[in-house]
Amino acid sequence: MFMPDFYDFCSRAKTISGENALEKIPGHLAGLNANRPLIITDKGVEDAGLIDMVRDAMGDELQIGPVYNNIPVDSDYKVVDEIAGIYSRESCDSILAVGGGSVIDTAKGVNIVVSLGGGSLLDYQGAGKVRKRLNPLAILPTTTGTGSEMTLVAVIADPDRHVKMGFVSYFLLPDLAVLDPRLTKTLPPFLTAATAMDALSHACESYYCMEKNPLSDAFALRAIRAISENLLHVVKNPDDTQARLELANASTMAGVAFSNSMVGMVHNIGHTIGAICHVPHGNCMSILMPYGMEYNLHRRAGYIGELLFALGGPETYAQTRKNERPEKVIALVRRLNEDLHDATDGKHPRFLKEIYNPQGEQAIPKSMLSEIARNIMADGARMYNPEELLPDDARMVLEHAWEGTPLDRRKIKKGGKK
Amino acid sequence: MKSISKSVNKTLNISRYPEIPPGTKLIKKGYVFVMLLIVGRAIEAASKVDQSVKKIFGDLPERFTFYLGVAPGGPYMVIGKDKQGNVKYLGWNLYGRKIDLGLDIKNLESAFKVFTFQESTAQAFAYDRFIVEGNLPQALAVVRVIDIVEIHLLPKVIARLAVKRYPKWSELSPVKKHLNRVRIYLKSFSPGLIKVIYRNL
Ligand SMILES: [Fe+2]
Repeated sequence: MFMPDFYDFCSRAKTISGENALEKIPGHLAGLNANRPLIITDKGVEDAGLIDMVRDAMGDELQIGPVYNNIPVDSDYKVVDEIAGIYSRESCDSILAVGGGSVIDTAKGVNIVVSLGGGSLLDYQGAGKVRKRLNPLAILPTTTGTGSEMTLVAVIADPDRHVKMGFVSYFLLPDLAVLDPRLTKTLPPFLTAATAMDALSHACESYYCMEKNPLSDAFALRAIRAISENLLHVVKNPDDTQARLELANASTMAGVAFSNSMVGMVHNIGHTIGAICHVPHGNCMSILMPYGMEYNLHRRAGYIGELLFALGGPETYAQTRKNERPEKVIALVRRLNEDLHDATDGKHPRFLKEIYNPQGEQAIPKSMLSEIARNIMADGARMYNPEELLPDDARMVLEHAWEGTPLDRRKIKKGGKK
Repeated sequence: MKSISKSVNKTLNISRYPEIPPGTKLIKKGYVFVMLLIVGRAIEAASKVDQSVKKIFGDLPERFTFYLGVAPGGPYMVIGKDKQGNVKYLGWNLYGRKIDLGLDIKNLESAFKVFTFQESTAQAFAYDRFIVEGNLPQALAVVRVIDIVEIHLLPKVIARLAVKRYPKWSELSPVKKHLNRVRIYLKSFSPGLIKVIYRNL
């Protein structure tokens, strides 16, 4: 077993999970001295009727403030400042964030401004500016993937300067994370697939990348097991409440693992594709995940092999010889992608060339691969990947991931000590 | 082995806990100081000799200045681009400089590990030994420069410990590699060094 020379780990968001979790929110807010939350969400979530459902569930125990639903795909600081203004004018005392990654990041940004009393989020840029306890924040994730309810970061764009500002502080962890199967009920199967594969990539990468530690490992393995046992089933049977609750839990656990142990090249390349081609994060993750494992195999075969117990179940694990386990893990991830592709009538892409934008065009033309590869050096995840990844390497991986062919193992450059 | 020695330490009586004599600390500090100076000068030299280092600095903003050092209180090395875009090692004083990016290693012990190459820069990042003040992509670019410089500067047996991947001979013709190494050494220890030391005193 592996024990690092040093590690740190922190996860302190209270989590409530269950079929009636929403009903418990007013009590928990009261415990935090709050009863007038502002709701932050996006139009898709509101149109799906989730906000009405949340209101009904909480009854009239709370004096719910305004609902802000105009969240752009990439959270930006102007929206944050606008919402902070509403919060103050309407004398709110807490925030309920109902949505996916951008809603949650926006809510964290708003909480910085309203709690620390500045005029704009821009006042809090830079390391170590957020060092005080913030106002009560409850996060209700409506996807099964980002895990942002367990992370201490918020990424918020400054559209004028074309930069993404990262805010990092333990105080950005919410006071309450609410996992209720009703929140993911309206998530279409292909989005369930993409977001859960994102969660799977968080768990796998945190398990075999460089900041691996025993506490994160425990969260990662349990998350992987929940996803492998439930994802395909939920995509085929969206009404199975218990299985959906398993996925929501998996996403949160994977969030804990990667918030503390970071992720590697799958996210490095995936973030870069996302920034250039604007494709859904989860799609990139599911496609790149087996490549990340193949690429790091010569350094991490042991850890990747250990994932088989969680991913394939005890029988498969016992039947597979130790030296064949890592390859089996890679094969199982590929097969899961194939199965999800079939179960979603082809909406879940298996290769990069199968990702289409809303206009029905190929989202990542082959001609873009060089540009993507050139830009990978600016993403923080590259530090935590076990093997070095330079633009030439990324280009090689991207070409295979685009076509859907396994890596040519001889082309992987191996160097340095293990 | 390590975990055993750790648990032994835990059972030690606090009053018998071996104290590190101040002398050792001074030696370590001196060693890190000298290494920072060498690496600093080598970065300046590499920015003229190595194409990838040249390119990385070319992409950084005009008059970009950064430091790498040990928190709290140093030692440091400061590197900056001048008006013409030339990369210069500016010495060990932070005072009176506009710094765009600061890389602090959290304490002397960790810095000693990094500069005795017991730990690669990437591993040190993973163990959370760095504090980055500034923009992350720029920090990543600087770490890449340090990796390249270490490959040039150090003998292979040591450089293999310091970086994630030591380039294959096929990728780096030995003639060119040694030529670059000699050029970087020569430039690092040229009379310019005395000038910088003089200016920082
Ligand atoms: Fe992700």
